[in-house]
Amino acid sequence: MNGKEKNTENTSAHAHISSYSEHFGTWVALILLTLMTVFISTFGADLRTLTVATAMLIATVKALAVALYFMHLKYDAKIYTAWMIVVMALFVFFLIMVILDYITR
Amino acid sequence: MSETVVQQPSFFQTKKGLFSWIFTLDHKRIGILYLYSIGLFFLVAAGLGILMRLELLNPGRDLIEAQTYNQVFTLHGVIMIFLFIIPSVPAVFGNFFLPIMLGTDDVAFPRLNLFSWWLYILGALFALSTLVFGDGPADTGWTFYAPYSVKTGTNVTTSVLAAFILGFSSILTGLNFIVTIHRLRTPGMGFNQMPLFAWALYATSWIQLLATPVIGITLLMIVAERVFGIGLFDPSIGGDPILYQHLFWIYSHPAVYIMALPAMGIVSEIIPTFAQRTIFGYKAIAYSSMAIAFVGYFVWGHHMFTSGMSGPAAIVFSIMTFFVAIPTAVKVFNWVATLYKGSIDIQVPLLFALAFIFNFLIGGLTGLVLGALAADVHVHDTYFVVGHFHYVMFGGAGFAFFGALHYWFPKMWGRMYNKKVANTAFALLFIGFNTTYFPMLILGLKGMPRRYYDYLPEFHDLNILSTFGSWILVTGIIVMVINLFAGGLKGKNASSNPWNGITLEWQTQSPPPLHNFDKMPELPEGGPYNYPNAKNADH
Ligand code: HEM
Ligand SMILES: [Cu+2]
Repeated sequence: MNGKEKNTENTSAHAHISSYSEHFGTWVALILLTLMTVFISTFGADLRTLTVATAMLIATVKALAVALYFMHLKYDAKIYTAWMIVVMALFVFFLIMVILDYITR
Repeated sequence: MSETVVQQPSFFQTKKGLFSWIFTLDHKRIGILYLYSIGLFFLVAAGLGILMRLELLNPGRDLIEAQTYNQVFTLHGVIMIFLFIIPSVPAVFGNFFLPIMLGTDDVAFPRLNLFSWWLYILGALFALSTLVFGDGPADTGWTFYAPYSVKTGTNVTTSVLAAFILGFSSILTGLNFIVTIHRLRTPGMGFNQMPLFAWALYATSWIQLLATPVIGITLLMIVAERVFGIGLFDPSIGGDPILYQHLFWIYSHPAVYIMALPAMGIVSEIIPTFAQRTIFGYKAIAYSSMAIAFVGYFVWGHHMFTSGMSGPAAIVFSIMTFFVAIPTAVKVFNWVATLYKGSIDIQVPLLFALAFIFNFLIGGLTGLVLGALAADVHVHDTYFVVGHFHYVMFGGAGFAFFGALHYWFPKMWGRMYNKKVANTAFALLFIGFNTTYFPMLILGLKGMPRRYYDYLPEFHDLNILSTFGSWILVTGIIVMVINLFAGGLKGKNASSNPWNGITLEWQTQSPPPLHNFDKMPELPEGGPYNYPNAKNADH
């Protein structure tokens, strides 16, 4: 780079530096959620049909925590959140269409 | 145009030697590395295409066995798709011109850029190694449909890994361009002051980034099934072959827009320059690129109407397919409106752009025939499809690539090719192309199936015509390539702005210096295509 002023959506001057405690807190939350998943499956909390749903729910919360805090989505320009949502929506659409085909075949 | 400024050493002159090229971090040199590698593979695969046309000159066996023919069309398809047309415009002209058009000195991640070229070479070596190792190149078609791809004795694993590696190369290019466009635009250039080529690359890059991983994992699934016998796609071990087709086309339909969008971006550059007129509907063209990229994700099932997919799913996909036509038509109308009352200067690049519109229209409209559920059932897997996708990928994207070569040639090499010869080459290409592929559309409607080395006698006449066309076509390719090489080696010196363009690449010298600009480029007042006055064009 030749040091010219560059266009940036969020100039580095405003870049967020997460605190140590915030990182640590996120990490603890992730560990707890992992323990919860393991606990539910091995110690026979009998959720029956909800087993998969529960596991997915916990996994979703964990993914969100990683995206928001570790990957800084919470502090970055809104456009990145928008892109993230678009990408997730696409993925959901892929699943819906493939499943639609499968169950109506 | 008078130039009194002292020329800086160009990016060609700054360093010499093989290593200064293959380990370069300069986006312009990487673009040229890509140009030579991609160009080489195009010629190889075109040779295979000619070979197939020769075999098809007469019914029955002429030159090659049925099995060889199957391997030839597979290799032809794999090279043309993964080694030629998908990387083509972004990797060559995107690399070379995106940073210059944004007024900056390189892409955001130069090392990643070099790495993506090396991945390309590695993938190419994998693809070619199937010729010498194992049981010969794959015979599955470029689509690697399961369960056949899981069962055939040919070298599918290596071919599939080649496509996997090439996918990574493509992802890295896309990532690089997205970050470059977001972060490195010259001060004062908002998104809506970007050239339309940059917009097109932006939309393309998102497809490369988001869709390519899907094919990556799908291809690995084939390897897992072949090598470890995991039942994913083969019904005899519990798999679902239609699942393969879903996964494959979730990538490969958007991939069509990886080919088409950058081509449209080029047309959007060439047309205002040679009409010396502001582009009509800048925002409509820019945003329709994004719309095409987006809608393109929802239509993959139109490749699967006859696969045994469910009726309701097929209907949804058919309807969605028709929506893609809307943003595409928006572009075509805006290009034509730009030409209207412009002071049109018919030069070779413009001819290629116009040929793009003509061929792409045929490709697009035949696409609607295929997207219509009921019609597709009749023409699926016939030569109608072969005609259709050559119109889109070759007559469309390929011609735009050639157009870009002729448009930016003086900027890249600082020399001009022989324009008369270039016109001749264009005429041969255009006539040859249409003579080769239009008969295929008719043959398909008459019921000639694709992917066979033989056909019924009633199809003979049109096949002769098509093969004859392929000879004109190949003559055009040879004349064009020789003319460009001759121009690069000993053509007349070109000025820094031979076409009177006003996007930023025309403000720097030809060829550009290592850091692209020796002084900050000036953004034209009132947008990237605001030509001062059509009548003052001086050339
Ligand atoms: C020299 C020019 C070319 C000729 C003569 C040619 C000829 C052919 C022919 C005859 C087939 C049909 C084989 C069959 O179904 O039996 C074919 C298939 C194909 N061509 Fe070309 N082609 C040329 C250029 C291109 C270009 C520029 C592209 C893409 C950018 C391309 C992409 C493909 C693909 C993807 C297939 C399908 C392969 C498969 O069925 O798996 N071709 N070509
Ligand atoms: Cu498609």
